[in-house]
Amino acid sequence: MRNVNLGIIGLGSIGKVHLKNCLRLKNAKLVSVADSSKKALKFARENGIKNIQTDYNRLLNDKSIDAVIIAVPNFLHCECACRAAEAKKDIFLEKPLARNPAEGEQVLSHVRREGIELMVGYPSRFSEDFNKLKSKIESGTLGDIQLAYATNISAGPFSPRGELGRPSPVPAWWFNKEMMGGGALLDLGVHLVSLFRWYFGDAVDAKSYLGYRFNMDFEDHAMCLLRFRDRLLATITVGWFSKDPKVSVELYGTVKHASVVRSSPSVVRIIADDLRRKVGKIERSLDRYFKELQYFVDCVNTDISPSPSGEEALQDLRIISMAYENALRFDS
Amino acid sequence: MKTPCVLTLDYSDLSIVLVELVLSLVSFVRAQAPNDISVKNAISKSLDLIQFSLEKHPKKIVIKPNLCYYYDYSTGETTDSKFVGALIDVLRERLSSDMDVSVVESDASAMRCKHVFKMLGYEKMAKEKDVKLVNLSKEKSENVEVKIRDYYFQFRVPQIFRESDMLVNVPKIKYQSGVKVTCALKNIYGCNAFSKKFVYHRALNEAIVGVNKLIKTGLVVVDGIVVNGVNTKQLGLVMASEDPVATDAAASKILGLNPRSVKHIVLASQEGIGDMQFIPKGENLTYVRDIFPRRKLKNKIRMLLAQVYMRCIR
Repeated sequence: MRNVNLGIIGLGSIGKVHLKNCLRLKNAKLVSVADSSKKALKFARENGIKNIQTDYNRLLNDKSIDAVIIAVPNFLHCECACRAAEAKKDIFLEKPLARNPAEGEQVLSHVRREGIELMVGYPSRFSEDFNKLKSKIESGTLGDIQLAYATNISAGPFSPRGELGRPSPVPAWWFNKEMMGGGALLDLGVHLVSLFRWYFGDAVDAKSYLGYRFNMDFEDHAMCLLRFRDRLLATITVGWFSKDPKVSVELYGTVKHASVVRSSPSVVRIIADDLRRKVGKIERSLDRYFKELQYFVDCVNTDISPSPSGEEALQDLRIISMAYENALRFDS
Repeated sequence: MKTPCVLTLDYSDLSIVLVELVLSLVSFVRAQAPNDISVKNAISKSLDLIQFSLEKHPKKIVIKPNLCYYYDYSTGETTDSKFVGALIDVLRERLSSDMDVSVVESDASAMRCKHVFKMLGYEKMAKEKDVKLVNLSKEKSENVEVKIRDYYFQFRVPQIFRESDMLVNVPKIKYQSGVKVTCALKNIYGCNAFSKKFVYHRALNEAIVGVNKLIKTGLVVVDGIVVNGVNTKQLGLVMASEDPVATDAAASKILGLNPRSVKHIVLASQEGIGDMQFIPKGENLTYVRDIFPRRKLKNKIRMLLAQVYMRCIR
């Protein structure tokens, strides 16, 4: 098996996670990184990366790089992915595929034209608990699923950030609807739409209620109602308003129900989990990011088309777009 | 207010008045309900209890809420814009209906005023009350040096404080891991226009006192309607005082801490910013302390456990 040479474009919070994970990959080498921030590039240098660029085009022009990880703000997804496709690099692109379906289609047309592979980062698909739910659905243990509820509540972009013990501000693009492409429904909802599509296939209808507690131009909380084939109904609830994060999925079948709940643990639980992680008894919280990257590298190495693919991510984006079109806005 | 004029008194009355002449007053009032009218009444009563008045009608006042981050008021972390709105109404009624009011905050290491004013409802309130919102980090300011104990600090002091007649400090009451108590004194630390405030964190107690030496609080009105102790609680509390040190000493007691164990309060008292001794007015302080969501022994043990784990094992 050959070594895949990787480049990372964008070293924000998730880009840094990818950088750390790249250093753990067995059959890949992180060759170069690109970011416009000096602080981010310092982080790369401190992690042993020598080839550091402030212009991502220079990274893309590097012939030794086989694939790129794109972890830039939403408004740059389309431009960056199209340029990477033109440079014939396989792409791992952070979700969402783009700000809207039109941009998403533009990305896909470049990908198809250049014949490269595109995978979109949805780490939930690589987490053990969500995979167990998938197995339960497929094995029929739960019977026919009739109702599904998914929740993703947090402070979102407004969670306190920091590096090396120093607090840092929320990047300006998170406050700009144009740059974001949407609010909490796009940012968090797309994870859950992707998960439900993976579980149940395509949704045939989507509606939403959008809420604006923080007086921004975009919604900070939303409920999305989805209808799937086989009369399955699903609700997706997302929000950026809470200091107490929670992710949960509940499935109600004709035989049984099953759920996954992740919420803020107590101090004792945090310490206990941390110790169990140290001895490898449970999955580390960022392991799913490592697994998805390892899977992407394996796909590049073996010429297998990765999943979630660009097409799947475009379909997620279309559903979110449909939910926005059928939205009822209310001010909290 | 420290200058009541009483002519006919017996000895016991006289001793009370003499004590009130010397010590600061801190009032504790509970709003009947968490609505605008009750909150406004509670603010008004809290000012009555400390006998707040000004000799001259102010032309310009500055109000400094605590907007430490983008947290909603319902978390107890930030001053509610509706509370500030009610306070503006009360002050206009008492002081001057046509005075110029500015609500100020500065950018912090992780927070930007332009976003926080919008997100937390201050833009809407400012429009309704016809007041200015001022980002201190974008205002004219001068670099001023101050020495507190062995530490020399340079702070950016915005000119607006010199140009105004009174600074009204509207803090929250909270635990803080570094300095134990966050209330009036810590809120004024946020008046330093320099945004990267983390640079002062190595000597935070001294830095808090330093800013308070340069920027004087005229009136403190604590927004304790929703408080954030060991958990968040709708307490409906309004505290008022003209002395930020006395306010913080009272806040410490409510949080279950001895004010003498809180470094920046002791230091502020030593630097002459205010007095740790105070006369409580209104609600019984013990009652307020009992209803506040204080840290209990089990919370302290958990915190200690976490600290030991983070320092020694992780």
